[in-house]
Amino acid sequence: MVRGAGGLVALGLLTALTEAHHSFSAEFDIEKPIKLVGTITEMRWSNPHAWIYIDVKDDAGMVVNWALEMQGANALVRRGWRPADVPIGTLVTVEGWAARSGKPAANTNTITLPDGRRLFAGSPTGEGPPK
Amino acid sequence: MPGPHGPGMHPRLMTIRLLTCVLTLACAAPAVAQESAASIPRLPNGRPDLQGIWQVRNRAAYDLEDHVARDGMPAGRSVVEGGAIPYQPWALARKQERFANRATADPLAQCFMPGVPRIMYMEFPFQIFQTPDHVAMLFEWQQVYRLIYTNGSKPNEGLEFWMGDSRGRWEGDTLVVEVTNHNDRTWLDGSGNFHSNALRVTERYVMRDRDTIEYSATLEDPKVFTRPWTIRMPLVRHTDMPRLLEYQCRAEMEEANGDFEREPRTWYPGPSAAPPSRRLAASRPASARASAPPGVDLNGFYQADHGGANWGFEPHKELFTPGGRGVLVDPPKMPYQPWAVEEKVSRNLPERGYDDPTAHCFVGGVPRAIYVPSPLYIMQTPRYVVILHERMAWRIIPLDGRARLPDTMRLWMGDSLGWWEDQTLVVETTNLNGKTWLNEVGDVLSYAATVIERFTPIDAKTVRYEATVDDPVVYTRPWTIALPLRREPGELLEVACLEDNQDLQHLKDVRDAARKEKGAGR
Repeated sequence: MVRGAGGLVALGLLTALTEAHHSFSAEFDIEKPIKLVGTITEMRWSNPHAWIYIDVKDDAGMVVNWALEMQGANALVRRGWRPADVPIGTLVTVEGWAARSGKPAANTNTITLPDGRRLFAGSPTGEGPPK
Repeated sequence: MPGPHGPGMHPRLMTIRLLTCVLTLACAAPAVAQESAASIPRLPNGRPDLQGIWQVRNRAAYDLEDHVARDGMPAGRSVVEGGAIPYQPWALARKQERFANRATADPLAQCFMPGVPRIMYMEFPFQIFQTPDHVAMLFEWQQVYRLIYTNGSKPNEGLEFWMGDSRGRWEGDTLVVEVTNHNDRTWLDGSGNFHSNALRVTERYVMRDRDTIEYSATLEDPKVFTRPWTIRMPLVRHTDMPRLLEYQCRAEMEEANGDFEREPRTWYPGPSAAPPSRRLAASRPASARASAPPGVDLNGFYQADHGGANWGFEPHKELFTPGGRGVLVDPPKMPYQPWAVEEKVSRNLPERGYDDPTAHCFVGGVPRAIYVPSPLYIMQTPRYVVILHERMAWRIIPLDGRARLPDTMRLWMGDSLGWWEDQTLVVETTNLNGKTWLNEVGDVLSYAATVIERFTPIDAKTVRYEATVDDPVVYTRPWTIALPLRREPGELLEVACLEDNQDLQHLKDVRDAARKEKGAGR
């Protein structure tokens, strides 16, 4: 079961920032907000950022694998998440900002599960670690 | 006349025999062990006192089994009981394949964490610190550490770590440590010996005499081996090494291959340059005490209430540098010299995100490691305060009034000396290498900095942290930040930043594109 994430909604803030170890404005473009719908192909349970990979079908029907950066695995663990909570094949909706490099990569603001629960919405202020 | 080592042995022969014994690992003479068991150092609670700087004297790091010399690899005898590792047939084939590809396939070729037990027999010293509830092992190699819980707690379920999860208990005078939760990415040595994530390691630490710990590790892994097997070797105390230094494996590699470039204005210029005069006095006062005041115990797990310091010390609130209440207490604005303002502005260009050392997963430095948004563990012993950072870095702060390192010895985490003033732990850090940034918005620190930190317990859950930075190369005057450290129930996890770093390539792409554009514009 998913624990600890219900009801936490990020209001225009970056989830990954709470564990950041690099400049976000250097890697991602605030002028390029994106919304993606796709199925999880891999989850890297890593620090200081976890990464989730999803297959997204573009307008021409081609499938592109996107790399999506989240807050760190340790923050997720401390909020009760475990790898088994996010199985491969889950359909998710992701909102975030695209990478400056032009590659299919983005920083995530919110990840929404089919039942409406939001994953990994982070600490809304940067004032201390997520609980 | 019969002596303790045999009848009529000449003293010089005895010395040779002892030396040979150390070199060949055949030291566990039972008679000697019995003689000295009563004389080993002990903590006030009666447990053997394992504290000190230790290292093996063998070639197990290269190959656990018997091996003749190979290119870049000295010969060595097996430390495996029975001689050979009992691989399942498929696993032996896999080992041989890894052996053939070891120059590039070995995780240590990337400076990744070695895992347990491999870290125990690398050719680098490590220091043990001990309290009734914990045994910490701090390794010179890449600032890796192990925090072994001896408080009866249980491992984290469902998680894997490069360095495993270590829970210890005392069986008489033997420290027994169960190491579980391994991943399947570490090797056992430089010859491709390996395990799966089903590995379970049972270590035993027995003090044979003041300067020798008999170390053994039994490895069980039903996916890879046909039966449990054991390695055994002495750990030998360094009696002439007052402190660990640093070997930042990855940083050294990236400096050598050009992936991390020199910043001439902040990096230590070498002894030829006249050092700028320090304005803060070298300040261990007459009232300084080496021992903590009664009742003051900093031991515990902390999260910095960091106030967004990793994105700026002054108040700030922007999307990509989120919520900062401001931690700068004096003066109101950072007192930059003009050149350093320009440098800071430059560091905020997208193409310079790559230049932040923490983007490379190098250690954060002082004071940054305190307020990056990852927890830390403080260990306090009578002679030291030790800070373990979840982002795999440590700081050893001796309280004994020892001399500083010479000026030419420059370290990522600097040279920290500490003392107590009333209820406050004061830590003065110099000998920084000037390679770190103060935060992600590029606040500047140079090799010339002196950092004075004050840790003052306010109540059971709060330590007030204050850092004054005096850096005459960068600033016109000293400045001070302050923030609370919150003591909570909690355990450190592991940040395998380097091992899982996927951001650096993106940042490099951005930098390289900008450089290409600039080149084309000329």
